Amino acid sequence: MAGITASDADVVALLMRRHGDIRNLFDEVERATGDERRAAFRRLVQLLAVHETAEEEVVRPFTRANVPGGEQVVADRLHEEREAKELLSRLDGMDTDDPKFLPELLALRLDVMAHARAEERYEFTHIRRHADQARLASMASALKAAEAMAPTHPHPGTESAVRNLTLGPLAAVVDRTRDAVRKALGKDG
Amino acid sequence: MGFNPLEHQGIPLDRQLRSWRELDVEPIDPDHADPRIITMNGIEVEAILFSHQFARRCPDPEVKRQLAEVRYIEHQQQKTVNWLLPGLASVLETTIAYEQVAVDLTGWIARHEPDPYLKQAYEFGVLEDFDHLYRYANLYEMIEHRKAESIVDNLTEVMPGRPTKFHHRHPHDNVREPYDRSTTNPLSKLHALTIMSAEQQTMNFYMNVGPQYMEPIARRLYQEIGLIEEEHVTHYESLVDPGETWWEQLVNHEYNECYLYHSFMEQEPDPKVRAIWELHLNMELEHLRIACDLMRRHDGREPREILAPELPNVLTFEQNKVFVRDLLDTQIDLTTLGTGYVQDAHERFQRMQEQIHGGEEPPSERVLAQHREMFGREYRVETEGGHPDLASRERD
Repeated sequence: MAGITASDADVVALLMRRHGDIRNLFDEVERATGDERRAAFRRLVQLLAVHETAEEEVVRPFTRANVPGGEQVVADRLHEEREAKELLSRLDGMDTDDPKFLPELLALRLDVMAHARAEERYEFTHIRRHADQARLASMASALKAAEAMAPTHPHPGTESAVRNLTLGPLAAVVDRTRDAVRKALGKDG
Repeated sequence: MGFNPLEHQGIPLDRQLRSWRELDVEPIDPDHADPRIITMNGIEVEAILFSHQFARRCPDPEVKRQLAEVRYIEHQQQKTVNWLLPGLASVLETTIAYEQVAVDLTGWIARHEPDPYLKQAYEFGVLEDFDHLYRYANLYEMIEHRKAESIVDNLTEVMPGRPTKFHHRHPHDNVREPYDRSTTNPLSKLHALTIMSAEQQTMNFYMNVGPQYMEPIARRLYQEIGLIEEEHVTHYESLVDPGETWWEQLVNHEYNECYLYHSFMEQEPDPKVRAIWELHLNMELEHLRIACDLMRRHDGREPREILAPELPNVLTFEQNKVFVRDLLDTQIDLTTLGTGYVQDAHERFQRMQEQIHGGEEPPSERVLAQHREMFGREYRVETEGGHPDLASRERD
């Protein structure tokens, strides 16, 4: 038995590994140049957007409803996310060969890392404490479903699932994501 | 010419106290570890613990007060040095940095140690820390999906050393013979103190952070490797001549701190960190002067008699891949018997092995099994070719 570390059936283990994937992709962008950097950065933008949206759909509702002080925990995370997203949209409009790109990317890397560590220390520990194995597993499947459906671009100011829905071009994707999450979690509404 | 700390004046002790603002250092980049920070934290922790032990055995209230005053400053030094570590690093990342420091520092000291018996003690230890690095690196990839090469910075490879499960020896076999304080090269004293301090800090670190992990395999791996750190501290502390007086030991501690801060000041690439090494060197020069005065007064001896005339060559962190590969080729199957080293699994060793493993695979083996199950391979960094020991090559 591989235990929770290796398990895909534990939402926390899955999220922590995703944090590593994101850092690896930052390394790739930093190391590459020209077209390769452009392509790596596209993948990073996509991975970040998918990951954050999936967390918003799956993890935040659980924290809010089940963790003591969960509202405040979620508010802190949304605040961090918002800062990172603003920086990300600024970078998204920039040419990856621009001399200002790398310093901005470094700032984003540190913001994203601080957010990830804060999640691991101040949110995920509580999730493991308050969710049983079945719940950790159902959230893991929901997360994977959400990752498969989520939008590829972040929009500052749309940290909550409800407002994501109002966005024109992405609304359909988010809708499908939400449906996939709810189906995977086995509840409606 | 070389730097002689006895001939330089430091900052007067009454001007060494720092305010909160001065203690508030900016941490380093979490993706670029600095082995000198981990080393100096271990050295300062030893300075503090040694001073406490000394004070508990010291009947003279005036000396106690003097020790307390210097110790408070040393604590501020520890707070400055260790607080350079970034809060963004995970416990496992810091752990991997600790093991890498252990490999590089012990490797450097083994290569420069003049006494063959002491050299063997360091060479023996290198292969164990090297194996710990490999086990933790595999755990790191499992939990955080990151590869340890971003932490070890290409200084060392990551592959099996002497397998961790064979590090569990009977405690009697961890006690070495000490050097002779009257005839040994002064450099040997500095080496023993440095490695003992580094291993002691690693032991303390694992003791405290191991249970912070939620993952069962991580908790168990910290227990296992934490117990080996106990063996390593026993191994290295027994190299120090117990006949050194407390005053003499105090002088050796302060002298070693001067040596290391001076070394790191010479080679530190980060100017903000270098400024700290320089400041601390200037503080240590004064601590050394005070220790020398105490030794003259209470021991009736001249510190120059026990110290080197000048500091040895600067201690550096440098690539050691060839050195480690050579050890892997020749010393992977060594264990200890009494105060020496043997290649056979002798009776006392086997009994200890049977008792501690209880017929099961230990956590250090399970972590690799779980990693293989998850990734279909191990995590290794073998930049210089296949493993020198055929039996340690990865099975497909």
